[in-house]
Amino acid sequence: MQLDFKARELTIKLVYYGPALSGKTTNLHAVHRLVNSDAAGRLMTLETRDDRTLFFDLLPLSIGATKGINVRLKLFTVPGQVIHASTRRLVLQGCDGIAFIADSRRSETKANQLAFLDMQDNLTENGFEADTHPLVIQFNKRDLPAIRTDEEIDRLAAHGKEPVFKAVAIRGVGVKETLLGLIDLTVQHLEERHGLKEKVGVTSADFITAVNNRLFREAP
Amino acid sequence: MSDLEAALDIAFGDIRRLDDVVDREALKEICRSFYDLFGLSIRVLQEDGALLADVHEERDICSYVNTLTAGRKACGATVTAVKDDVPDEGTVLSHPCFTGARYMIVPIEYQGHRIGRFVLGPYLPEELTRVPKTLLKLADVDRQEAQRHLAEMPRVRPETAERVVAHLRSILDVLLHSSHRAHLTSEMHVRSVRAGYRELAEKTSKLQVAYDRLRELDRLKSNFLATVSHELRTPLTSIIGYSEMLSQNMAGALNDDQREFVETIHQKGEQLLTLITNLLDLNKLELGSATVKTQAVPPRALLEDILSTMRPIAAAKNVELALTLAPNLPPIAGDPVRLQQIFFNLMENAIKFVDEGGLVQLSATPDELGPEPGASGRGLVLMAPVRRAIAIRVIDNGIGIPRGARERIFEAFYQVDGSSTRVHGGAGLGLSIVKRLVDAHEGTIDVEGALGEGTEFCVTLPASE
Ligand SMILES: Nc1nc2c(ncn2[C@@H]2O[C@H](COP(=O)(O)OP(=O)(O)OP(=O)(O)O)[C@@H](O)[C@H]2O)c(=O)[nH]1
Ligand SMILES: [Mg+2]
Repeated sequence: MQLDFKARELTIKLVYYGPALSGKTTNLHAVHRLVNSDAAGRLMTLETRDDRTLFFDLLPLSIGATKGINVRLKLFTVPGQVIHASTRRLVLQGCDGIAFIADSRRSETKANQLAFLDMQDNLTENGFEADTHPLVIQFNKRDLPAIRTDEEIDRLAAHGKEPVFKAVAIRGVGVKETLLGLIDLTVQHLEERHGLKEKVGVTSADFITAVNNRLFREAP
Repeated sequence: MSDLEAALDIAFGDIRRLDDVVDREALKEICRSFYDLFGLSIRVLQEDGALLADVHEERDICSYVNTLTAGRKACGATVTAVKDDVPDEGTVLSHPCFTGARYMIVPIEYQGHRIGRFVLGPYLPEELTRVPKTLLKLADVDRQEAQRHLAEMPRVRPETAERVVAHLRSILDVLLHSSHRAHLTSEMHVRSVRAGYRELAEKTSKLQVAYDRLRELDRLKSNFLATVSHELRTPLTSIIGYSEMLSQNMAGALNDDQREFVETIHQKGEQLLTLITNLLDLNKLELGSATVKTQAVPPRALLEDILSTMRPIAAAKNVELALTLAPNLPPIAGDPVRLQQIFFNLMENAIKFVDEGGLVQLSATPDELGPEPGASGRGLVLMAPVRRAIAIRVIDNGIGIPRGARERIFEAFYQVDGSSTRVHGGAGLGLSIVKRLVDAHEGTIDVEGALGEGTEFCVTLPASE
């Protein structure tokens, strides 16, 4: 979180993490399409090769004035390919919450695990508490065959700690739920651990209301 | 700006200063083409007032007033005022000049932040028809000359001014977006190369240290193994062979005492040989050179076979053996030889640790192998999917294992209690071999039961799909 007292402005950084080709960039494109156009800035894609992210994608979202403070969200993706390890670590700097985008296909289970462990390492390297940093998990590509079943995911999710969402990012399904889930968890964490309310006078509830109104308000 | 702030801005993808991102030459060219198109002077200032681009031509009226002392003073004041007049975000300021001309001051905003402004003008508003009083009031001003110079100044209609501003704004926005992108890209590039280099250097030096140590260890280990397998086994084979021959009276009849002593020598020699073989085996498992060749192994055949192998040993100690198999068990995905080794070891161990007349039970039930949760349970859902499995239990009603020792019984050479070694023998290698074999099958092994209540080993092995 970046707090500019002079400008009365709060910026929250959210990162889409996950293995290569799991659909992180696709999620960002879908968010860009789904949110109200006046709340979204230009989607910035830094250097791609064959549509693979090399550095990061960035989508700025503006929540606007909430109880006298201007709130902005910045959504980043990391490059999933294994070789971009140091870039992933850099992109994680200052991140307030993570959406882990997993590929639902059985064949990708190992890749998901490795990316997850890599993320935990990078969180620690960046001085975060890796086990409590806000995290939601999205199982993407639910439209494909040979995926891990709903039943299996639900059963494991019930034992796991973090909220789990299922998505078909390419069609925008589950993208909004994932983002809202992540924002919810992140602002609660900021409230509990970083005194969000004391510092800026905005509660997590205010925040969620503002996000809902501003990003996903139905057009009249 | 401090390094830390800069790093944060990169981390958040922000820009604060126009000249951090914008290409000055590109900016000048854009201003120049606007000037050519509309004949309007343009200056671009950064938030702190620094001038980034300036395309203008001095107007005749400006040259003229600057020839007058009072005019020069008034002009300077106006220019300073224009420079210091900062419009609020989202608004355009119109700043008057005493000559009747105007300046338009427009904020440059990027991602919701004002990072600079541009100044258009001076130009004459379309509606101005007469020389304004503010100009006539100046000492020594010549009305006619002023009129003539003013007439040469470009006139701009309000709509035109608005259009020019909107146009310039959108072009600047595109320029900023692409400059910002280029800026972030090169920053990320430099940073990741640096980070990559640093990490690589650290890893290389760590690897070098580890490599040197491993090489030394490897050398020691090979020496040790050669010694164990050759220098120990060869004489031992002789001890076993000769003592056997002796006990079979091949060197003449022995009396009862002599035979008993020789048989003890023979028996202990065999024990020592098993120990050495186990040691070598453990070592192979540790090096990963022992391979597990997986196939579908039916549990019933496997366990019945184990039981019949164990029967003579159990009978010698009057220990009862029992086997229960759940119906419809799937086959185990395992290596038959290694599986034999696992359960042989566990059964042998159990029989060793029960008292005379005790009971050792063997059972198999269907089970599941879930992902092993990390310390925090985080990311569980991403870990390996649940697999069908078979749980095989070896349960005895012997002396049991104290709670505190359970963690350690799978370590090589660990003995629960030095004193039982004397009673039961064995060098504590069996369980560590079992553990490594179970690991190699991607299974799990757990131990239950408190001291005095017997012991239960539960081996869970994946089912063959
Ligand atoms: N079938 C299907 N394909 C998807 C879905 N989401 C993304 N994809 C496809 O998966 C491929 C990779 O998507 P990206 O969003 O570029 O993946 P990424 O995670 O950004 O990959 P990197 O940048 O290399 O880390 C693309 O071809 C997408 O069209 C989905 O829900 N279903
Ligand atoms: Mg990508």
